[in-house]
Amino acid sequence: MRSGRKRIGWEAIQVAIAILAALHSHPHSTQLAYIGPGAGFAFFGSFLTLVAGLFMSLLSILQWPFRMARRALRSRKSFRKARVKKIIFLGLDGLDPRLTERMMAEGKLPNLARLAAEGTYKRLRTTFPALSPVAWSTFATGVSPARHNIFDFLDRSLKSYQPRLSSARVGQPERVLRLGRFRIPLSRPPIEFRRKSQPFWTILGNQGIGSTILRVPITFPPEKFDGKMLSAMATPDLKGTQGSFSQFTTSIEKATYENGSRYPLRRAADGFAGEIEGPLDTCVDGAPILRIPFRVARRASSFELRIEGQRCPLNRGEYTGWQRLTFRTAIGAKVSGMVRFLLTETEPEFSIYMSPINIDPERPALPLSHPPYYAAYLANLLGSFATVGMAEDTWALNEGVIDEDAFLKQAYSIFEEREAMFLDALESTRRGVAACVFDTSDRIQHMFYRNMCRETDAQDPHARVIEEMYQRMDALLAKTLPFVDSGTALFVVSDHGFCAFRRAVNINSWLRDNGYLYLQNGDRESGSFFQGVDWSRTRAYALGLSGFYLNIKDREACGVVSSGREADELKHEIIGKLAKLGDQDGAIPIRTVYETASLYRGPYLEAAPDFIVGYNEGYRCSWEGAVGKVAMEVLSDNPKAWSGDHCVDPVLVPGVLFSNRRIDANDPGIEDLAPTALNLFGVQPPAWMEGKALL
Amino acid sequence: MTNIKLKKDLLSKVKKVAAAGGYSSPEEFIEHVLEREIAKLEDAQSDEEIARKLKGLGYID
Repeated sequence: MRSGRKRIGWEAIQVAIAILAALHSHPHSTQLAYIGPGAGFAFFGSFLTLVAGLFMSLLSILQWPFRMARRALRSRKSFRKARVKKIIFLGLDGLDPRLTERMMAEGKLPNLARLAAEGTYKRLRTTFPALSPVAWSTFATGVSPARHNIFDFLDRSLKSYQPRLSSARVGQPERVLRLGRFRIPLSRPPIEFRRKSQPFWTILGNQGIGSTILRVPITFPPEKFDGKMLSAMATPDLKGTQGSFSQFTTSIEKATYENGSRYPLRRAADGFAGEIEGPLDTCVDGAPILRIPFRVARRASSFELRIEGQRCPLNRGEYTGWQRLTFRTAIGAKVSGMVRFLLTETEPEFSIYMSPINIDPERPALPLSHPPYYAAYLANLLGSFATVGMAEDTWALNEGVIDEDAFLKQAYSIFEEREAMFLDALESTRRGVAACVFDTSDRIQHMFYRNMCRETDAQDPHARVIEEMYQRMDALLAKTLPFVDSGTALFVVSDHGFCAFRRAVNINSWLRDNGYLYLQNGDRESGSFFQGVDWSRTRAYALGLSGFYLNIKDREACGVVSSGREADELKHEIIGKLAKLGDQDGAIPIRTVYETASLYRGPYLEAAPDFIVGYNEGYRCSWEGAVGKVAMEVLSDNPKAWSGDHCVDPVLVPGVLFSNRRIDANDPGIEDLAPTALNLFGVQPPAWMEGKALL
Repeated sequence: MTNIKLKKDLLSKVKKVAAAGGYSSPEEFIEHVLEREIAKLEDAQSDEEIARKLKGLGYID
């Protein structure tokens, strides 16, 4: 009965939010302004939107009893063949089987250990390559990358060889009205979702079985289906980047950053003054940057931030809550974002860190959820939350703008936001699927893995950061278990494991040294994005974290290698040579070079790298090589705080699979979970799915 | 979504090819074929635009 009331409550909240959204609309509301990051704003007629909003609200109220009755009837029919009432997927990104097994044996993960003893624990085979966007796409669809089209974080333009985000593309509005110097977009910027095939929650939805899908990577833009979804990885910030921080400081001359931006903080009579740079205003010629001024006033023992009429205390080492920023465009539209500030130093210099400008879930400038008001519902119910795809600011720690403690505070704050959402989904899911992926486990291992590879001082406050994180994940399981009854199938899943990242390999530099890649004017180094590469002589090039490509005629714009025999011979030659690459201490950086066509088959294989590099533990592709830079050295040290990684031979980094059900399969893979979910609900997995049902 | 009419014979072939190719629906197959052709005609983005959109992605410089 409790769950039933919750369900009715959710319907009522949907209607209430629709009414509030309509009534709240006014000519300058963010809901009327639509930003495609870096692509401009589309400003729609306010009156029309207000009328349409009220009409839709009224229609929704009138339809509500009929919808409820239809849903109840359909639901009864949908679950007739089901063997479970509910499936819970608890995704713990990057949870490593070796560390998990060790800590379970040491008694440090009692809830996971009990789940393993009473149900199942197995290592879970991951995808080639072992990257989150690839593996979670396979989790969702039950197919290999050649069928869902996500092979890496990045893919490349065949025309320009330039890298692009592989999963989503935000374009320019197609219809724009020019009035003098103003450009008024008359349509929304198109957002193209590049992941193909169908996720299991869409198939279940078609059968009347609903799901709540929270922050599963590669769900931006959100797809329509019979259920609720909050987007994750690849969701941009308000500037259109993947999350770029700002630092405001009085010591402006002292540093430059590879990532993020540094802005001056001026000393004023009562404190400091600065200016926040937001997105571009593409509604006016020249697309100036939208800005918001702010001041920091001294208080007796602390400081106060004053911004757009808001005041909030600023104490060293303490993040502020989410602060709403409203940027006003030249044509009067407003765009809303959210940031958190952290005062990082006060004497002799004064510096403030500002998080990336997250899209505001209550006034989203880009779609964040399905249905569109689900993000607003969560924010109203639980408070604002981080919306950018990779919300933990790893670059701010890499650059030393925040310290380890500040990074951990931020990561666990995001974890708590998500935990609240997950528990709300568990409360309201009586039947169907509740799935949530937590990124904390991945990000903390990326940034603290160095502590796993060296003797740490017992006094070092960060010596046990990774172990403590695993224990937090175990405690999360403890909060999940009360929602698991005899009709529930629970799966705790990670997409890959982890290992150290000590040395970096620049495949582009190796290709240059071995006569496969040439630079113009005999240069030895190139800029990023292949600046200075002589494509007329280049036969192979590397881009992204996992693989590299041949420069094939009639495929790439300046291709020189004929497909067929020439390409096949070249592939074998490169594989043979690259496997012999040695490091200074005799170590072998590359374990296996995989020819991608031998790994999987599907309609999108042509978009895949021709090779996937299986790095040995301790190695990864270099930072600059991933974006098409040819460096002087092939091998180099990794000096960054980002010291753990999983971009290695996928055989070395399987994920984990726990369940309260007994699973007998010997070699379960992440592609098996989608057909398992369908099968448990009595839905026949479709023929295109490559995974096999485990239950 | 906009509906496009196909001749019955062609639709029948589309369904067979889509199923054999590993597509999840005939619509996905048709979209893929069209996207591939349209991509040949599209302009490339500027380097500056590309760099800006990728900024902040933890894994790359």
